[in-house]
Amino acid sequence: MNNSLKLVQWTHKVLKKMGRGGSLPGELGLRLDPHFLEKFQMPGIVVLVTGTNGKTTTSNLIAESLRASGLKVINNRRGDNLNVGIATLLACNSDADFHVQAQAAVIEVDELTLYRQFKNLHPTHLVVTNFFRDQLDRAGEMETIIRKIQDVTADFTGDLILNGDDPNTLRIADTAKKAKVHTFSVCRNAVSQDSTDEASEGKFCPRCGNPLKYEYYQYSHIGRFHCEKDDFGVIHPDIQVSEINYDTESFTVDGQQFHNFINTIYAVYNCASVLTVLKSLHFDLKAADQVFRTFVMKEGRNEEFALSQPCVINLIKNPTGANEVMKYINAQEGDKNICIFLNDNDQDGHDVSWIWDAHFERLNTPEVKKIVCSGLRAYDMALRLKYEGLEDRILVIENSSEAIHWLNEQNLKSYVIATYTALHPTRAILRKEASK
Amino acid sequence: MNLKILWMYHDLMDLYGDKGNAEVLRVRAEKRGIETTIDTCDIGQTVNMDDYDLFFLGGGADKEQNLIFEDLLKRKEDIRKAMDDHTAFLLICGGYQLFGKYYKDQDGNVVDGLGFFDYYTEASDRSHRCIGNIAVETTMDGETFKAVGFENHGGQTKNVASPFAKVLHGYGNTWDGGQEGFLNDQVLATYMHGPLLPKNPKIADKILERALKKRYGKVTFDPLDDTLEMKAQEVMLKRLHCEH
Repeated sequence: MNNSLKLVQWTHKVLKKMGRGGSLPGELGLRLDPHFLEKFQMPGIVVLVTGTNGKTTTSNLIAESLRASGLKVINNRRGDNLNVGIATLLACNSDADFHVQAQAAVIEVDELTLYRQFKNLHPTHLVVTNFFRDQLDRAGEMETIIRKIQDVTADFTGDLILNGDDPNTLRIADTAKKAKVHTFSVCRNAVSQDSTDEASEGKFCPRCGNPLKYEYYQYSHIGRFHCEKDDFGVIHPDIQVSEINYDTESFTVDGQQFHNFINTIYAVYNCASVLTVLKSLHFDLKAADQVFRTFVMKEGRNEEFALSQPCVINLIKNPTGANEVMKYINAQEGDKNICIFLNDNDQDGHDVSWIWDAHFERLNTPEVKKIVCSGLRAYDMALRLKYEGLEDRILVIENSSEAIHWLNEQNLKSYVIATYTALHPTRAILRKEASK
Repeated sequence: MNLKILWMYHDLMDLYGDKGNAEVLRVRAEKRGIETTIDTCDIGQTVNMDDYDLFFLGGGADKEQNLIFEDLLKRKEDIRKAMDDHTAFLLICGGYQLFGKYYKDQDGNVVDGLGFFDYYTEASDRSHRCIGNIAVETTMDGETFKAVGFENHGGQTKNVASPFAKVLHGYGNTWDGGQEGFLNDQVLATYMHGPLLPKNPKIADKILERALKKRYGKVTFDPLDDTLEMKAQEVMLKRLHCEH
């Protein structure tokens, strides 16, 4: 029996009765006992999911797929991926003696938290989705993050699931010599390109420094690459997506068809990583297809609200994610308004210069009628658009409620994009506006 | 009138949105009817540096910075000639450091810089970087005004003969020196990202004037509508309590 755990679990119960979630229980646990996280008896399967983009979606898909395979699974489904969120998840799902009550835990872990907590969480599986340039002021250079992850996985003996089409993740295979490495890869398809203006990191071979040769790019630096000098990037993927059909919203692996849940290239990569996890566990891949068919993106990931006309909100937090969201918006037919919420709080990153690395010129299409800029750095966003020739279509409305209200009044389909700390407040405003 | 900008290592030294500076210069020049060419120069590429009015070099990640440095050293005499011929220079962060005497890393290894100026840079330890919003006051070509940006550097640059600006909020060249960047008649070198120019249109115009001076002598610009620019700057100055 442990008093701090008892108190944490009691706090959780009280908060739950009050209808409140959040990471307060975990925060309390870590305050009372700095070694709190080390004490848990973890389940037989512990899947950690990390990387720059797609962590929340991927870990939810894995958790659901394991549930569909018949396991009792716990996961931090809302993306509370820091120490306190993970401590909350474990504490609220364990007995009084720190035994986690589940057959599997699927835990999304922030890239920076991963190297601090890796050993404490006793992972059997580590999934690395991708590495893109992210919040530099918070995370430092991407190179530093990769090196730290290489450090903690150097003697990892479990299953390491890597995106084989991302040189920044594949290089972990070189240093994790004791791990069972599994990779996934996606074939050339309708969105693939021979060259790119999106790639920023990962241009050079991590082994020898030579420029990498790409057969095709999918988005950013994700694509099929290899080094001509030392064959870095030549892989035999465990899961090879052999076809994507955007008309039927499906993709094929080993002759078997799967549903593509939001019909974008990055969603296929999310799915491929899920299938790789199932395959490494020798589970039937059919369980995942059931999940892909019924999975609803929520909580600000392509979430739709019924304003006077439909309004879809998406999270953006770095150039690559923003580029993909803009491609998605452009693929939706008809006239539309856009509303961008740019904040610079701790979790957004204080440095908003990344908006200049993202291709906002893509919003310069005739279908985009007005772009409302809101949030703490609304004017920075407006300036970014001004220098793409969108001056006549910019509207700055700093107050979030007024910005959403303006969108609602226009009676036109709209797309809201918001940085992390603006996401949930904006969703709350959208819910309110939709119920008017 | 036309303007020719040479953008060095555009896809390697492109951290923190520094590419926005090139975009701002192009748009502001074209609005004044100045035909603008921006050429890029990669590792190993042959260019005639003297053909250009402005030399622009941004900051990069450590790994990228090491890659370009050898190439940059090979171009030292070309750069010197461009400098002698009154080319204007805009150098950000890593670009700023590389034009000095040397860079000393955390382990004490010294890498010689291009040595055009007497300043030098010493790395602080890995966990201590100057990171955050910065506000400064500069006197540039006879005019005094405020500027804002974002700094993120480990290097401490010392022995700067003529700083670019006085720090109102933030760090600048060193933890506590109160001064930011380097400035002379031709060269503006700074740690300020953000990127620097969108929210500081006055600096952008001064750089354009300096660049055009090489072939056209003194030029005067019609003012542009900078309402959004000044509003973005004001929001940050207010937040940092530097508006007055």
